[in-house]
Amino acid sequence: MPSHICSGLKYLATIELKSNGYSQREIANELAINRSTVSHYLNGRNLSWNSIDVAKTVTQLSPKDFLILTQSLFKDLQMTQKIISICKIRNYEAEVSDTCIGCGLCVDLCLMKAVSLDSLKANIDSIKCCGCLICLEGCPTDSIKILEVFNDRKYKKR
Amino acid sequence: MIVNTKNVEDKDFDIKRSADELRNLSFKDHVCIGCGICETTCPVEAISVGDVAAILRSNASDSKLSIDEDKCVLCGMCSGLCPANALVLSINGVNIADIPAYPKYESYAEIDEDKCIYCQRCEIACPREAITIARSLPDRSKLVTGEIEVLDEECVHCGICEELCPADAILVNRTPGAESIAIDKDKCVYCLVCKKSCPTTAIKASCRICSYGDYDIDPADAATKGSAFIDDELCINCGWCEGVCPTEAAKVKKPFTGTLEIHQDVCTVCGTCVDICPCDVLSFPEPTAPAQIVENVGKDEEYCIKCGACEKACPVNAIEVNVTAVDYTPTKSKSWIEKLEALKN
Repeated sequence: MPSHICSGLKYLATIELKSNGYSQREIANELAINRSTVSHYLNGRNLSWNSIDVAKTVTQLSPKDFLILTQSLFKDLQMTQKIISICKIRNYEAEVSDTCIGCGLCVDLCLMKAVSLDSLKANIDSIKCCGCLICLEGCPTDSIKILEVFNDRKYKKR
Repeated sequence: MIVNTKNVEDKDFDIKRSADELRNLSFKDHVCIGCGICETTCPVEAISVGDVAAILRSNASDSKLSIDEDKCVLCGMCSGLCPANALVLSINGVNIADIPAYPKYESYAEIDEDKCIYCQRCEIACPREAITIARSLPDRSKLVTGEIEVLDEECVHCGICEELCPADAILVNRTPGAESIAIDKDKCVYCLVCKKSCPTTAIKASCRICSYGDYDIDPADAATKGSAFIDDELCINCGWCEGVCPTEAAKVKKPFTGTLEIHQDVCTVCGTCVDICPCDVLSFPEPTAPAQIVENVGKDEEYCIKCGACEKACPVNAIEVNVTAVDYTPTKSKSWIEKLEALKN
């Protein structure tokens, strides 16, 4: 069953990328699947619609649940980061206040690798941030604020 | 899940967090001076300093401080603000003192080997036993004679030359009324240490090899050779070496400036501060008569680093240490600047 949900998530990612103008080959590269699978997904073949429903529910969970569930399904951090980046519904922006002591705990906690330290202060990449708030919960000085923002940012190739 | 691990070895310990980068905070008990700066600075209140005076006096096996590894976030503030080097945070094996983003105290102690005569006074004076002076004396068999004489009218019989003479050739009698100085020419190696260290110009000495050059012997053989080494880990920049150096070879810059005050009316002369002071600044005065009662604790502020260890240890709050300035390298982090500025009071 977990692998079916993974396929469901990949299906959702495929559809999202397609709507962003990705070619089949680019999608295959991006998600590390072969092109015939991409073609199957796009033509709605070889898929259990039930798995897709479950996958859709997963993406609609709170960002933290979506992230942790995806990581425990895929057990592959890179793939998790990719799926979350493509399928996340909302965008976020982080504010770090001057009370930050530069302990780097958020850097270690962030599964999306969105945080880095710059001159003893955390620097959070809004594009990578998935809004899970794990950094905020772990911050010893309550220096992090994550704000939901509205924009039409689309997943972009790197 | 990110979990810190703690590794305890006798009184020392290491706290590690290993994820993307490896952070390691190491504590060395024998370096710790018990000032308590780390305890008041720690942003997550993970550090508690024990009763350092009791530990020092009883030779107890307790560590001077303990850190709750579940609370510690390995930010390194204790390491950056420790005036000794008892707590050291390293990130991927690099001490944060060597990472420019982190501030550190602008303090140092160094010995200029061009000026050093390897007399070992600083090694003896250093309260932390941080200095090692190694010296080798000129071999008498390789030397010829020189000339040495003392001008009695200029000599103040201070005894510095006797103390410094590497060859034990000088004998100074400092008994009041019977002062004298004698030089044993059979022992003298004409290294000129006495001449260089004499606070007056009472000693006239020259080495034939150096001055005339008539002899086919390498002049380098006539010099006292050696090396001077300061252990940065133990050194707390108190300035004793600079204070006792006869040739101005030792230079020290302290991290804090301020004042040290003992309220003699409150002081019970228990000696806790004398035991705890890492710089040998506090002492009981020398008795001037037999069975004299010691009524107060003496201080020699010149060598005080204003660390506040005595203030913290004093059981009756008779000591006041005021830090008026802290010298540190620039940093962009406002929270670190705030903590450094908070050391002033």
